[in-house]
Amino acid sequence: MRRLCLIVFLSLSVFVAKAQEDLFDLLDEGPEPTQITYATFKGTKLLNAQTNETPGKGVLQYIISHRFGSFTDEYLYNFFGLDIAQIRMQLDYGISDRLNVGIGRSSVLKTSDAFVKYRALRQKTGGNAFPISLTLYSSMNYRGARFNDGLDHYISDRLSYHHQAIFSRKMNENLSLIVAPSVVHWNLVPSPGDPNDTYHLLLGGRHKVTKRIALTGEYAFSSNRRYGSGATEERFHNPLSVGVDIETGGHVFQFHLSNTRAMSDPLWMAQNPYSAANGSLFLGFNISRVFTVRQ
Amino acid sequence: MKKLLLTALLASGTIVSAQQYLTREARLSFDAGSPLEDIEAFTESGSAVFDASSGKIGVQVLMTSFQFKRALMQEHFNENYVESEKFPKASFKGTYNEGEVTGELTVHGVTKEISVPATLKEENENFVLTTAFDIILAEYNVEIPSAVADKISKTASIQVQATLKSVGK
Repeated sequence: MRRLCLIVFLSLSVFVAKAQEDLFDLLDEGPEPTQITYATFKGTKLLNAQTNETPGKGVLQYIISHRFGSFTDEYLYNFFGLDIAQIRMQLDYGISDRLNVGIGRSSVLKTSDAFVKYRALRQKTGGNAFPISLTLYSSMNYRGARFNDGLDHYISDRLSYHHQAIFSRKMNENLSLIVAPSVVHWNLVPSPGDPNDTYHLLLGGRHKVTKRIALTGEYAFSSNRRYGSGATEERFHNPLSVGVDIETGGHVFQFHLSNTRAMSDPLWMAQNPYSAANGSLFLGFNISRVFTVRQ
Repeated sequence: MKKLLLTALLASGTIVSAQQYLTREARLSFDAGSPLEDIEAFTESGSAVFDASSGKIGVQVLMTSFQFKRALMQEHFNENYVESEKFPKASFKGTYNEGEVTGELTVHGVTKEISVPATLKEENENFVLTTAFDIILAEYNVEIPSAVADKISKTASIQVQATLKSVGK
């Protein structure tokens, strides 16, 4: 009996000692909280394409973008392409943490656009984990440039649309990927045989090299790369861009090299006339600035 | 003798559990702002434990649970300053003794011995912990880029408030 007592006493003291050590283990117990994955990308745009990100609620964002002249187009005469730069300005606003609306103006074909972007699904870790984000994006584009075919045109002839489903995943702290199928619709195409709807699949990603610098890239496949035939034939090339993101406080600087110059969605995605293989490569940048207008 | 053993077992069981206090709703906040920029955040999902018999006390918080007024500031806090993916939690593990807590504070993966004033009052069978103290961010390897050095304070003022309830109740 005495031995039993001793055993019980010893085991109890071990038990008590263990309880002491386990005190701090209590901190880690309890339900695992669900966390929304943040900062899949630094900006709301990757290069030309959109990312899954939107500005937060009450945040006004201004983006100015330039695409300079190509290296093969009298590069020095055009002062490193700066003299013939194309420009796009964008102003957009976060109505909620999920909903974003904006307007833009691009110099190629004097295109104005309006867009809406909505985060339908968000990647999460922890208790209620979810593997991917899905953001839906639509833009309507208005061609302001005059038609030079001598015909009268309806206003609707000037409109084109882009609807996209942006699937993305932050693979780890550094690597994030995008797969984004989309459709471009033109109200007016050059000839009756040309498709009004073209389908596109964009692949993109970023890899962080430091806390504030990331390398980015994107490429899109198109269902159609030719409009018209014979003398009026136009050939298009899949857009390819590589770049670097530099983030400093409220700014994101994105510098890149691309075979595209237009910045309104339907033009760079579905009707890009430039081929990198022919030496048509353009330097460009996007610079964003955010202002918190409502807290 | 068997009765005695049983009583001893039961007694020790109750002693162990009755003296531990716990909450998962501790409120933690910090202020690292400057006259140029408000930088404040809080969370109400910190964990805190206290063992009344040994005086041991622990507090832990998930860095991503801190809520800022601005979404972008919250993103930068997690992504650039405290690197929440590498160092998801901050914790304090130490002991309480007469208006002071002493122990190890871990922030951004760096552990430092600290000793700061704190109150721990028994109220309605609960313990209420309150403490406020400053930490120097550079000591925890939290880098502040020179471009924003005048916007961010070199120290963070931290406040903790928690009502710990008896474990097992």
